[in-house]
Amino acid sequence: MVSQTPDVVAATGQANMLDRLYDSVLNIYRNHTFRVIIQAIITVWAVVTFTFFLVRLMPGNPIDVLIEQILVQEGISYQEAYDRVAASFDFDPDATALDQYFDWFGDVLRLDLGTSITSPGTRVVDEIARYLPWTLFAVGSGLLISFVLGIVLGMTMAYYRNSPLDHILSLFASFMTGVPNYIWGLLIIIILGIQLNWFNVGALRGTYDVNTTPGFNLPFIVSVLEHALLPIITYVVSTLGGWMLNMKSSTMSVLNDDYVNVAEARGLKDSRIITAYVGRNASLPLFTQLTISIGFVLGSGVVIEEIFVYWGLGHYLFASITTRDYTSMQGVFVILVITVVFANLIADLTYGFLDPRVRVSGQK
Amino acid sequence: MSVINSIFSSIWNFIKRISKNKAGFVGFIGLIIYFIVTFIMPSFVDFDDEPKLDEITGPIGSRIVLAVHVDDVDTYKTMEDLEGKTVGVVSQTGGPIFIEPYEDTVNVETFRWNSRRDGPGIQAGLIALANREIDAMLIFSKSVTEYIDNQEDPELRQLFEDNIAISNPTLGPPHLLGTDTQGRDIATHIVHGGRLLILTAVLGGVISTMIALVFGSLSALFGGVLDNVLTALTNLILAIPRFPLLVVLAGLISFDNTLFLGVLIGLLGWPALMRAIRAQVLSLRERDFVEAAQSLGLSTTHIMLREILPNMISFVAINLIFSITFAMYEQIGLVVLGLAPISDYTWGVMLYFGRTRGTLFNADGASMALAPVLAIALFQVCLVLFARALEEVFDPRLRSAV
Repeated sequence: MVSQTPDVVAATGQANMLDRLYDSVLNIYRNHTFRVIIQAIITVWAVVTFTFFLVRLMPGNPIDVLIEQILVQEGISYQEAYDRVAASFDFDPDATALDQYFDWFGDVLRLDLGTSITSPGTRVVDEIARYLPWTLFAVGSGLLISFVLGIVLGMTMAYYRNSPLDHILSLFASFMTGVPNYIWGLLIIIILGIQLNWFNVGALRGTYDVNTTPGFNLPFIVSVLEHALLPIITYVVSTLGGWMLNMKSSTMSVLNDDYVNVAEARGLKDSRIITAYVGRNASLPLFTQLTISIGFVLGSGVVIEEIFVYWGLGHYLFASITTRDYTSMQGVFVILVITVVFANLIADLTYGFLDPRVRVSGQK
Repeated sequence: MSVINSIFSSIWNFIKRISKNKAGFVGFIGLIIYFIVTFIMPSFVDFDDEPKLDEITGPIGSRIVLAVHVDDVDTYKTMEDLEGKTVGVVSQTGGPIFIEPYEDTVNVETFRWNSRRDGPGIQAGLIALANREIDAMLIFSKSVTEYIDNQEDPELRQLFEDNIAISNPTLGPPHLLGTDTQGRDIATHIVHGGRLLILTAVLGGVISTMIALVFGSLSALFGGVLDNVLTALTNLILAIPRFPLLVVLAGLISFDNTLFLGVLIGLLGWPALMRAIRAQVLSLRERDFVEAAQSLGLSTTHIMLREILPNMISFVAINLIFSITFAMYEQIGLVVLGLAPISDYTWGVMLYFGRTRGTLFNADGASMALAPVLAIALFQVCLVLFARALEEVFDPRLRSAV
């Protein structure tokens, strides 16, 4: 071995240290939980920034439009109109665009989203707090029901593959995924509501019967379920097919794996193999799809809630767009994106929890 | 000749292969039918743009009938029997249009729909018919029965019931899908309402697939910083719920051109597919034939276009179909909310009017909303079934690569 000069030793030592530092940084980044959280934060930041540009700086942006509108309607000076709009949007009219941007960012972090333009004095965040829970309730229970049902039906299809049952379920699944969810909503209204008269669709406006008192009492809970039932059915029907087909192919690939054969050879009970060995592993890939699905279903809620006149966040977003209530629109959009990102985050973290391989290697 | 022959034989081969998959074959036939109905039939069927007050929200299969005096039920059955006689029609209804070709052979007596002196046109006409002032009347079936049934004046009701009978209930052409809130034939709207919708969806789907293809292959082939940037961008856009974004954009920019909407949908719709294509190219890059091409020193462009692209063309084609369904979903969703152009009368606009004019809640008029609902639903199902079948028909090696 050739002895090294102290210089070289020091240099390699330094390089090693750098390497190790780099590795540890990389390891942290590869850490599933950490990466998922960082991605969520970056997404929220990007959307908040994007919204700022959309509302303030784009040609023909709402602020210019509103100022123009006030000028035409009330004939006051430009500065007054500008100040009034600035007050609604809750920004400092004298600050530079960059300062306004940081201001806006801080406002979002403090959940201070300005006041409504069409009904002055109403804080946007209060309105959102009123509408958001209903959307979360309807979308959440719809997705949960369809996910669980889809896993059960998909496994059934895989276990009885190529039987008539499998063919019928496959056809149903293709239909359910093929037809857009608002089309399902309209079909439900036309067929179940009007032609068969099972539901009085006209009376099911809003999220609960106004004659009941909100709280933990039976009439209120019944009316809440009654109002949410049709939107939930729509969410379930439109997403179920996808889960079924995915779960079927996923289960079929798992069934051939060695550990299932070993489990059978060990003489484990069928029920245990189905749940703990096949079910758990086969449903893992579905969790990644759940993250995409959450955003999609929450987003499509705008149409579904409008069709069923269910007063959730989507309904509020649509109402604020038709009345040109830009502050509400901006607020709802930001909150909607944050909700989606947060829901994805939970699904991602659950996925890491369910699949230890993800946590260890940091790669899917 | 040989070129044409080979094209035909490859098409024939394709049909043979797809017909083995029953569901896929159904989808394939369905798409051909859709193509005929929405792209070829509009040249032969006129768009019914004539509001008809007596046919408002007519049920499926409704048509014009010949109402005559009870004594003439057996005499006047067709327009030919009425030669030289007086036939009453009410203005702004289907009657005047129907009777136009016969104007030389029969005398036409027109009643104004909303004549103040004689009361509503139908009433005036029916009274004239009951008193044998005219020989027959052309009325939309539902209107005449409804009018007599809902008649509050007992004398008039008695007069009508005693004197008026329908001699020919199948005179006019049937409205296969009923009529909308303006009495216009829905079937012709279905025929005319698909083309622009499908073209816009295809435009959106093609744009997002092209972007996904370019970004995905660039990302996979060059790797490094470009890959990181493109992947980050993809994840970012993927995290934003697309439909609310479109809704907000529609609130800020008013879309007045349907094709522009298609382009915008296409520009936002690529991220999910970009990920899939990137994965495809990454896996294909490891194949022997690509390595062989690389060791021969062939350029990246050559490898991409000649070695990799042909091997994933079916994968791209299948995903193009799914992109089209998504583009269609978003486009119609915006139209249903009234945030997209409603000047072009498409299936989506029919849905919008069906919803806003409340025909959803009217059993007679349900087909105004139900017809486009089924047209859209079946089209999407056909596309999905066809795409699923393609997955099986195309090279099985690809499936193992995914």
